Amino acid sequence: MNILQKNIKSVKDVLTSQDILVFEFDSLNGKRFAAIYADGIADKQLLGELVVKPLRSAAQDIKLDAVKRLLASPEVKDGKEISDAIKEVSDGNAVLFVDGEKDFIIIGLKNPPGRTVAEPPTQIAVKGPREGFTEDIKTNLGLVRKRLKSDKLKIKMLKTGKKSETAVAMIYIDGVCADGLPERIEKQIASNEIDIVPDSSYVAKFISKKPRSLFKRNGTAEKPDIFCAKVCEGRVGLIVDGSPIALTVPYMVTEDLQSSEDYYALTYRSTIVRILRVLSLLVGILLPALYVSAQLFKIQLIPFQLLLKISSSVSGLPLSPSIEMFLTLFILEVLIEASIRMPNYVVLAMSVVGALVLGDTAVKAGIISTPAIIIIAFSAICLYTTPDLVETTTTLRWIFLILAGSIGPFAVVAFSAFILCYLVTEQSYGVPLMAPFAPLIKNDLYDSMVKANLYKLKNRPQAFKAKDRVRLKTGVNNGK
Amino acid sequence: MENKISVRQICFIMLMYTAVSKLILYPTVLSYESGRDLLFSALLDFAVQGVIIWAVSFLCSRTDKTFFGLIESTFGNIFARVIYGLFALFFIICAVIPFMEQKLYVHSIFYDTLPSLPLFLSVMFFTVYAACKGFRNIGRCADICLPIFAISIIFIFSMSVGEADWSNFLPVMKTPPAKVFSASLATVFRFFEPCWLLMFMGHFKYGKGDAAKITLSYVVGALIVMLFLALFYGVYGDIACSRQFAIAKISLFFPAIDLVGRIDLIALYALEIVMLFAMVINVQMCVHCFVKCTGYENRAVWSVAVNGVLVILLLTLNTKFNAVYNVWAKWMWIVFIIFANIIPLLAWALKKGGRKEEAK
Amino acid sequence: MNGKIKKYSPVIYWVLIIALLCLFFTNDFGILDLHKTSLIVAVGIDSAGDEVEVTAQVAVPQPSQSGDSIKYIEVQGSGQTVADALNEINAKTGTYPRLLFCKLILLGENCQSEELFRMLGCFYRRNYSELTALVAMCKGKAQDMLSLPATIAPENATAIQKVLSEELKRSANVSTSTLRSIAVSNYSESRACYMPYVEAYVQGTSEPGGNGDNVGGDPGQQGGQQGGGQSGGSSQQGGQGGQGGQGGEGGGSSGQSGGSSQQGEMEFTARKTAVFADGRFAGILDERQSFALNIIENEIRLAVAQCEADGVHYTVGLRKADGGIKLKVKDGAPELTVNFKAAAQVQGAKKVLDPHNVKTDDVVRPEVLRAAEEEMKTRFERLMSACVENNCDVLGIRKLLHKQHYKYYEAFKEDILSRMTVRYDIKIESMN
Repeated sequence: MNILQKNIKSVKDVLTSQDILVFEFDSLNGKRFAAIYADGIADKQLLGELVVKPLRSAAQDIKLDAVKRLLASPEVKDGKEISDAIKEVSDGNAVLFVDGEKDFIIIGLKNPPGRTVAEPPTQIAVKGPREGFTEDIKTNLGLVRKRLKSDKLKIKMLKTGKKSETAVAMIYIDGVCADGLPERIEKQIASNEIDIVPDSSYVAKFISKKPRSLFKRNGTAEKPDIFCAKVCEGRVGLIVDGSPIALTVPYMVTEDLQSSEDYYALTYRSTIVRILRVLSLLVGILLPALYVSAQLFKIQLIPFQLLLKISSSVSGLPLSPSIEMFLTLFILEVLIEASIRMPNYVVLAMSVVGALVLGDTAVKAGIISTPAIIIIAFSAICLYTTPDLVETTTTLRWIFLILAGSIGPFAVVAFSAFILCYLVTEQSYGVPLMAPFAPLIKNDLYDSMVKANLYKLKNRPQAFKAKDRVRLKTGVNNGK
Repeated sequence: MENKISVRQICFIMLMYTAVSKLILYPTVLSYESGRDLLFSALLDFAVQGVIIWAVSFLCSRTDKTFFGLIESTFGNIFARVIYGLFALFFIICAVIPFMEQKLYVHSIFYDTLPSLPLFLSVMFFTVYAACKGFRNIGRCADICLPIFAISIIFIFSMSVGEADWSNFLPVMKTPPAKVFSASLATVFRFFEPCWLLMFMGHFKYGKGDAAKITLSYVVGALIVMLFLALFYGVYGDIACSRQFAIAKISLFFPAIDLVGRIDLIALYALEIVMLFAMVINVQMCVHCFVKCTGYENRAVWSVAVNGVLVILLLTLNTKFNAVYNVWAKWMWIVFIIFANIIPLLAWALKKGGRKEEAK
Repeated sequence: MNGKIKKYSPVIYWVLIIALLCLFFTNDFGILDLHKTSLIVAVGIDSAGDEVEVTAQVAVPQPSQSGDSIKYIEVQGSGQTVADALNEINAKTGTYPRLLFCKLILLGENCQSEELFRMLGCFYRRNYSELTALVAMCKGKAQDMLSLPATIAPENATAIQKVLSEELKRSANVSTSTLRSIAVSNYSESRACYMPYVEAYVQGTSEPGGNGDNVGGDPGQQGGQQGGGQSGGSSQQGGQGGQGGQGGEGGGSSGQSGGSSQQGEMEFTARKTAVFADGRFAGILDERQSFALNIIENEIRLAVAQCEADGVHYTVGLRKADGGIKLKVKDGAPELTVNFKAAAQVQGAKKVLDPHNVKTDDVVRPEVLRAAEEEMKTRFERLMSACVENNCDVLGIRKLLHKQHYKYYEAFKEDILSRMTVRYDIKIESMN
């Protein structure tokens, strides 16, 4: 057995799967080569164009260095250990063995199947860029690079997941990001050992100091423009291979109340919309609870004429207000869950069933009252004004509902105080979750509930302790 | 770090918690005791407390030490621990009336039914949690509460100002001075803000003019209370003494309430959040004192213990609010004057040791 | 310790969640069930000798998807006190009657013989009622008044509230009072208070002109004739007019009310005012006296008065009406000045409008202005004399003395109404 066959065998002994292909070919002068690659994730066309075609003219006594020069691929490197060859093949690259040579060449042909850059469904913008991250880390890094051309941009590649060895790109701007923050995050990621990291949400838990908390400790971005803006404010961004959702830390609750469009639209409009979001959030979480507690404990919360209408509607219902609301909310959650999971061709039929059968018929049958359906529907709409917080807010809605139904409106207020007390204490990498409100940071208030005009936002958020604080230097007449 | 607080946050506490803790039964009692001269009784109390607040905050400009440190450097560690132990007990005494008052208030404005005590006791989950936290948490809570307080108090005040008849205060100063003074004395147990400041001492970085800022905040808080008292008496006149839970009563006559219902309840509920934080601050101080007194740092244990004592007191005294109130009004004023007025002033006599910044 | 807490925290969470769910599904912390709650919208109080009869008008929602089906019923209870009677209503309705939405308290005419706060005291003591409820006295029994069918609202509590509205108050047509204003006024140095006096008429048979003040006519006779024509219904309501020396007008009205059978739909007015001194009924102010009282007590936007000049009847609109009283002590003698200023505009005249004078018709002629001033003065004089006669200080003159002339208070407080001299300073100018 010659060296070439030995090398092929060494690899195949470890990578026994049938999708690991070996392509052996000869040059016109009779020199033998073998390319090993994983079917499906390596680009076969490029292999033919950039590797096989140029090597047709290879001489019989050609050496490894000369082979490298002949190759048309821009991503070529040497390999010595068989373990490296195995790793690269698994990663989607091709390994080229040359007859008579113990060493080998690694050729970057990785091209896993993936979708093209598209607008993310959860961060749609009427105004502003529409590009969204994809599952491919290289594409995502390209999208970031396209926007941040500074030499201060640092990208550090990390690996996580014992089996998956998922690539994580840690992105920050040197001189803007707080000292020591990237190192702390890197340490935090490295301290976790898990088999597989299929999505960035795993990394989110790794970097969180309190992974069990109801409130998240990292921001998310599905669009490169948002991601880059956050990185430029002094955050560290994390792009995880296989996930279209990038992470940013440190995190403040207010950032989920903002949208990219706020920065592209008229300032006044942005401020109104932000206040609207906060009110929607409060209404969405508290309305079902307050409705139940008003009916059970404090009817004065409802205006008299409305109370008469509600009384008429609920009169004769077999369920108590709390159980009625619980049931309605349960139906809503089931409908949402089902509509996400079910195939598209069933959605229409299920919508009819949901709207007509569960809604209209339940009211007509006297099982659920009309106000309960209105309240739950409105609450659901309200919560989706801040989609990034939906997981937390829907859970809170349940908790508030149960507290309101069992203890009454005082429990709603006391639990609100409890949440405030909890949130003001919590931090994300040294940045208080409730900043800039608690602790009060005057300068950061310009981009919180209120969106001040661009010229007011001269400094980066103070909460992030950025080294270089100035982000805008105005010209002679600008900003006056 | 856990026990650091900023001057701004202290100012907010002095402004806000001073005000919210005196909006429930204080106006009713003052109306009963002093009639139309209730503002003078309140003024007397606030003036005395204001001077003490200024004295303590000015003392902070002379030393970097905490109150514990001051006592320790003068009388030794054991004595400091004893004093802090006494303060811990004092803060429990301070917390009793606010807790009982809150119970009555909550039952009145949150329930149309006749609720039972356990409904109110559910708040203990919050108080236990909050009391585990240090001064940093107290400060940040004050930060977050200020906008809630400002919006709701403006909302309630603006709903009631149109109904106030300012001539209700005429003729001025016709109540016998002794009565005005005794009313001040009978309500002195509601004034313990100087003790909070004493505990904050050394836990914040004193800057130039901070004593004035803190005192001014207290004055603003006092003015809010005085304005509220004026509104309350302006709205109800001679029957103010029979109207309990004043803050929930002054905005009832706003014309729009007939159309849109009790919208004032939204503001009252928001204000209740601030009231809960104001109520729990004594428990937080108590836990702080126990930690310093015993050296046992686990705040959770102290929090559970102190709240447990309060629960027992609330259960025992559930139906005896009037009796407790009378004891506090008639007998406990001396305790409050010693701890909230005399001891803070005596702190000036302790060895201060100067400030590091000045030394540099 | 912290470690232990962390270790057991999942267990604690689950225990809490399960406990809360148990509470949620089985709770009985004194919840109120909206299905069973009586929403009392109005309360009528009648005195029956030693006992008190209370009639509660209760809104009973009927099952309806659109939520617009409400039935109103009256539930009666009686007892030694109002609270006793409310307890009886509780026993009949099955729930504790809630007075949170009770916006009207109607005192029957028979309460005139009772101490006012024996009837109303309950509402001040109970933590369950706010002091925002309107209070009025009605002709006849409150129970009957609340059970009459109304024309302008589905139930008569709302219909009565409409005639006690803020808008009418701002046009000096009604002396609206709430539980608060009554208590504040009664417990002040004046020890007097007032409340509107509600009367019911069969639809379409009220006095001609609706808001006419009957300056030139004889309303008592008119009313009496009309009322007589329709009488035969509720005898309790008839023949009780003329309280407090109100003469013909009261008698006329009572005739009409007396005729209010419960067959036809009813209209309500509240242009008269019941006054109380020291917590006891002191009389009824007629419409003109009530008008004068309202001008002094309330902020008026547009009042309408009638006067006669050169033999022509004029209806004059009084805008920017600013009325009030001032008390001075001159040389040890109290002097009350009744001020009234307004801008007048002719709203109607009992004559044919000359097309050539259309442009100048807006300018009120001096004779009309003088007549209007004279009319206003008469009304104020009648009000003052009613106050003096009944020793009823509804204008709060004693309170004024106490506030502004404290050193004379002790000397004058008993007899200031009879001792003071009254000066009228009335100025009405043309609007254009």
